[in-house]
Amino acid sequence: MDLIQTLLDGLMVGGLYATVAIGVTLVFGIMGILNFAHGQMVMLGAYTAFFVVSAGLGFWPALVIGMVAMGALGLLLERLVFRHTLTDHMTGLTASLGVIMVIENLAAAAFTPDPRNFEPPLPGSFQIAGLTLSSQRMLVLALVILLVVGCYLFLQKTRIGKAVRAMGQNRTGAALVGIQINQVTAVVFVLGSAMAGAAGVLYGSLFAITPYMAAAPLMKGFILTVLGGLGSVPGAVLAGFLLGLAESLGSRYLSASFRDGYGFILLIIALLYFPRGLFGQSAKVRV
Amino acid sequence: MSAAVETTAAVAAASRQTTMREKLARAIPWVGWTILVVLLAIPVLGGSRYLVYLGTLIALQAALAVSLNIVMGYAGQFAMSHAAFYGFGAYASAILVASFGVNFWVAIPLAMLIAGVLAAIIGYPALRYTGGVHLALITFAFGELARLVAANWHSVTGGPMGMRVMASPPQLFGMDFSSAKGLYWLAAVMLMLCLLITVLIQRSRFGRGLVAVREDETLAAFLGVNVVGYKVAAYVISSMLAAMVGCAYAPVMNFISPELLSAHETISLIGVLILGGIGTVAGPIIGTVIFFGIPEMLRVARLYRLVVLGIIIVLVVLFMPKGVAGVIGERVARWKRGAA
Repeated sequence: MDLIQTLLDGLMVGGLYATVAIGVTLVFGIMGILNFAHGQMVMLGAYTAFFVVSAGLGFWPALVIGMVAMGALGLLLERLVFRHTLTDHMTGLTASLGVIMVIENLAAAAFTPDPRNFEPPLPGSFQIAGLTLSSQRMLVLALVILLVVGCYLFLQKTRIGKAVRAMGQNRTGAALVGIQINQVTAVVFVLGSAMAGAAGVLYGSLFAITPYMAAAPLMKGFILTVLGGLGSVPGAVLAGFLLGLAESLGSRYLSASFRDGYGFILLIIALLYFPRGLFGQSAKVRV
Repeated sequence: MSAAVETTAAVAAASRQTTMREKLARAIPWVGWTILVVLLAIPVLGGSRYLVYLGTLIALQAALAVSLNIVMGYAGQFAMSHAAFYGFGAYASAILVASFGVNFWVAIPLAMLIAGVLAAIIGYPALRYTGGVHLALITFAFGELARLVAANWHSVTGGPMGMRVMASPPQLFGMDFSSAKGLYWLAAVMLMLCLLITVLIQRSRFGRGLVAVREDETLAAFLGVNVVGYKVAAYVISSMLAAMVGCAYAPVMNFISPELLSAHETISLIGVLILGGIGTVAGPIIGTVIFFGIPEMLRVARLYRLVVLGIIIVLVVLFMPKGVAGVIGERVARWKRGAA
């Protein structure tokens, strides 16, 4: 029973990681923009939800508003900054460092560093087959699965999703067959930012919201993106669930204070023995 | 285009001015060195205690940026573990001095040696592959693991609350290093040492090999450069220097905590490098002065100074992708050709 409980917890946390990782996969894995400010989107999404829920509008509008607002912010950032740093990882990284400083300090000044919470839509817990499950955590898990499947279908089935994947494979080739590179880049950035906003709303419904909450989910998002094979959405999702399981099993049965360490050990082993990631296709050149 | 006309004009101008301009252009690095020496001398000559302290911190940060530049700027490898080795040096020297009674001046090479061995163990498997992402992630994970170990190994490191460092460096060659000014000298000497090593590497066969690896690994291997060996060597040297700078951090701050090892420190160092101009000798120092100097100057707008700095960073990245030193270098080169 204890084991199943731990596994479910791991799946829930893993799902949150997967949601962040999808955003990073889209922006970094497919577009090649190293945007570290992605974590700030998660943070701002959580604050948006906090203010919307505090204004009495409820959780579901908060989720929608959070996603739309972060999508809009993503569009703004793409137009102003990141479209100029395409495929250049170093400049993308530094530009996002500047963006992080701006957003984080403005947020700390505007929202104060005090941790915030909002009332989850489904408080309390229920019991099935002797397991005590938190309703909100199950709701988050369900929503995460919905978002992940929706994003996957969008990429696989729609015309624009196919354009995105084509760009991920070969930017020049995609441009040659008539894909509007600029527009698709903007779409991907908006989509990735909206996923970050959604992850932020879900984070906020479970954990404390602070202006400095962005770092951990961001780093895990990047790790999962590479672990899953750069640019592979199913890979990032699977890696997200695996990381969640490893963390929750490790902190339950080994040591809780070393929680974040299990993921890093997993990452080092995976990179040394499976350098292509779980679903990666492009082989690394060995010299 | 008018390029041809310009070239003719340039040739004509060049015949008259070549010697003069080349001499001046050659003098520019020396102007840079002079400015650096003057900057380094300010806190010692007419400094308040605060200025000396600030100078020490900036010198340490600059030394750190200069050492990271070896592996990132010249070898082009995205090493995210720099802060981890910096923090490792701080912890190692403090523990060696406090718990094992080792002399501070012996603890520095010892800490550097251990850091070098660690860097080789991490670096070899990570650097076998091309492509920066693998190295970035493995070194990032290693750095975070090191931070977690420092935060959880209570009996040795004092846990997440950090540890106090009471010992100050003993005299060496009759010089007193325990005062604020002595510590400043220590930081300044470390900065000059890192710069010296960078210049030596840049001028050596090894340095040219590193640049070849950065530009095209396959071609470098084809030309007979030991690619993996060179990359590991650059990573080891860079990490050892970071550990050395860390040794000075402990007596300066009198306090070390696991946050010192955090990857955020490395990320802001990378920002410093790109701001100043990556892969240049002066770049890391210019970047450090902008990154840590501007917030001090903007003390009026205390609340928003980091916001202003963030905007400056974005603007520099967008409009001067080669960094401040890169732009100066290009201007000088163009002026030397007589086109400016």
